[in-house]
Amino acid sequence: MTETDQITTDPTKPAQRMRAGSMTIPLLPWIVAAALLMVLPFIFTANSAITIMNQMAITIIFALAYNMLLGQGGMLSFGHAVYAGVGGFACVHIMNMDDFFAAIPLPVLPIFGGLMGMGLATIVGSFSTRKAGTVFAMISLGVGELIAACSVIIVAFFGGEEGISGDRTYGLPTFGVEFLQQIEVYYLIALWLMISAALMYLYSRTPLGRMANAVRDNPERAEFLGYSARWVRFYSFVASGFFAGIAGALFAINYEILTEENLNTTQSGIILLVTFLGGVGFFFGPIIGAIVFTLVQTVLSLQTELWGFYLGIIFVLTVMFFPGGLAGLIMMHAGPLKTGKLGRLVLPYVKTLGSGLVGCLGAAALIEMIFHARHASTGDHEMTLYWTTFDSHTVLPWVIAALATGLGFHIARSTAPALAAAWHDANTPEGGRTA
Amino acid sequence: MTPALELHGVKKAFGKAEIIRGLTLDIGMGERHAIIGPNGAGKSTLFNLITGRFAPTGGRIQLKGQNLAGKAPFEINRMGLSRSFQITNIFPKMTVFENVRCSLLWSMGYRYNFWSMVGRSRALTEGAEAVLEQINLTARRDLPAGVLSYAEQRALEIGITIAGGADVIMLDEPTAGMSHSETDYIVELIRTVTENKTLVMVEHDMGVVFGLADRISVLVYGEIIATGAPEDVRADPRVQEAYLGAALEDH
Repeated sequence: MTETDQITTDPTKPAQRMRAGSMTIPLLPWIVAAALLMVLPFIFTANSAITIMNQMAITIIFALAYNMLLGQGGMLSFGHAVYAGVGGFACVHIMNMDDFFAAIPLPVLPIFGGLMGMGLATIVGSFSTRKAGTVFAMISLGVGELIAACSVIIVAFFGGEEGISGDRTYGLPTFGVEFLQQIEVYYLIALWLMISAALMYLYSRTPLGRMANAVRDNPERAEFLGYSARWVRFYSFVASGFFAGIAGALFAINYEILTEENLNTTQSGIILLVTFLGGVGFFFGPIIGAIVFTLVQTVLSLQTELWGFYLGIIFVLTVMFFPGGLAGLIMMHAGPLKTGKLGRLVLPYVKTLGSGLVGCLGAAALIEMIFHARHASTGDHEMTLYWTTFDSHTVLPWVIAALATGLGFHIARSTAPALAAAWHDANTPEGGRTA
Repeated sequence: MTPALELHGVKKAFGKAEIIRGLTLDIGMGERHAIIGPNGAGKSTLFNLITGRFAPTGGRIQLKGQNLAGKAPFEINRMGLSRSFQITNIFPKMTVFENVRCSLLWSMGYRYNFWSMVGRSRALTEGAEAVLEQINLTARRDLPAGVLSYAEQRALEIGITIAGGADVIMLDEPTAGMSHSETDYIVELIRTVTENKTLVMVEHDMGVVFGLADRISVLVYGEIIATGAPEDVRADPRVQEAYLGAALEDH
């Protein structure tokens, strides 16, 4: 630590208090997150819950890595699954190198995945980060397709269509833990989630992380401040590749198999969707996005075959009406919280959003019934919706669903102005006059 | 003594249109030099050539004796030349403080550092606060730069330009679009922040030009038709004919 890096502790300086905000890193959210990760398996004990949480944690790391590009660096990538995928493939190969794998403990394996993702990102980034915007996006798409195509060409590495599999338990036991149990893997992933998230957060506070924001907002100005926009983008890209590789490695450890599906453009599209849904403007956005997406993907997909359709609608609505994503929606309430008027929003919210929810459920019921009426095998008229079993070829369910939809949306629409007024009121500091 | 900036036979053509037509000019160290001329004379193009935004099609540009040929803007900046823009060019989403802090990073030697926290550097924080003090924006410290008034954004632009400690400062129409009182404020600001530095500015306001500049160059159709002390330029018949006549009568 050099002299300039020391935290100022001189209390006589008046500027101290004002500066404190930017000097310290808020520890509380991190402690809460760590505690939550510790106790979650005791709350959700089912095996399926652990599986979902593992999936969730891996997606969080990947989405945070992706947001280093999209949110922090302003680079829209359509092929980022490649770096996670290649990191994962490399780790499965290490699992299959008997002697080498037997000599390293499983918890350090993600580092190899990270280095692999970073290595590939260094190569690709060396030419893709020259320009931002459309050029970068197109190159990322091209490279994504290219490497996905390689999976059936370079069979030795990608294993062709069936992929490659390994066994995580052959590694050097760590303090007697051999990672036979799902719960042991959970804590391994949780540990890496905390490490990766903390490192990515700290990165955003470094000179390079700040300049990534600057280059995103105004690359030309950054160049006239002595920074090469291209190199700033390159370093962000490489760092993002590293953490994507770690996510891929954890996937390899969790599922012990990797296929082409892990690095194709569908996967790249999903991580873009997850990140945007959560919100690119805040560090915690992708975390929320990953949690919501994984829940939709795992829980909703058990309820309906059409979950992808609903997810698509949610995504389009987010892009159109809430470009800040879920995190943006949450942070919109910081103002009312500060003025202490958050409570005034509860009733209007219940009225509008409650009736809107009824409308949505009604519309979903209509969609499900149409789908059932059209696609169920002939003579199969019985369907179950919202824990109710009924005949989809009778009139009554249709009437109920249509009524719920119409009434729900109608009430939501007619109460919307009241909500808007309440919102306006809640955002006006006490004593303030508004036109 | 080596001049701060040396232009020799500089040419720039966009396709067939020749904007700068063989321009030669020396600007001494510590000089305050104004470039004036009618609209479309090529003033902004000249700025962009010197700062590396465009590459000249002919001629030579030297900064403190070093040839700038083939140098990118960030390399020229690292050699000690900094510029502002005619259209305000800041980081609108970042806070005022962060705008200034970003402009200090390279010159304070942080380069592409990804292992130390910007918030923990006392030198960085104090340096940025000193600049804010200088440009009178301390009260706006934590606001997003995009919400500042026009004059404040122009002041911030100048703050960003001088923060890195460059010794050659280039300002492109710093008072454009400002009211009288705002102009007076910015002129005072420019005078103090460019103390002991070389200043090159493009300016339309003759009051500002004659108040600030040690020497003036008149650029007309890509050529410099006169260079000299304000009084000499004012008296030059070619200048009066080409451009100044009407404007000078006002002052």
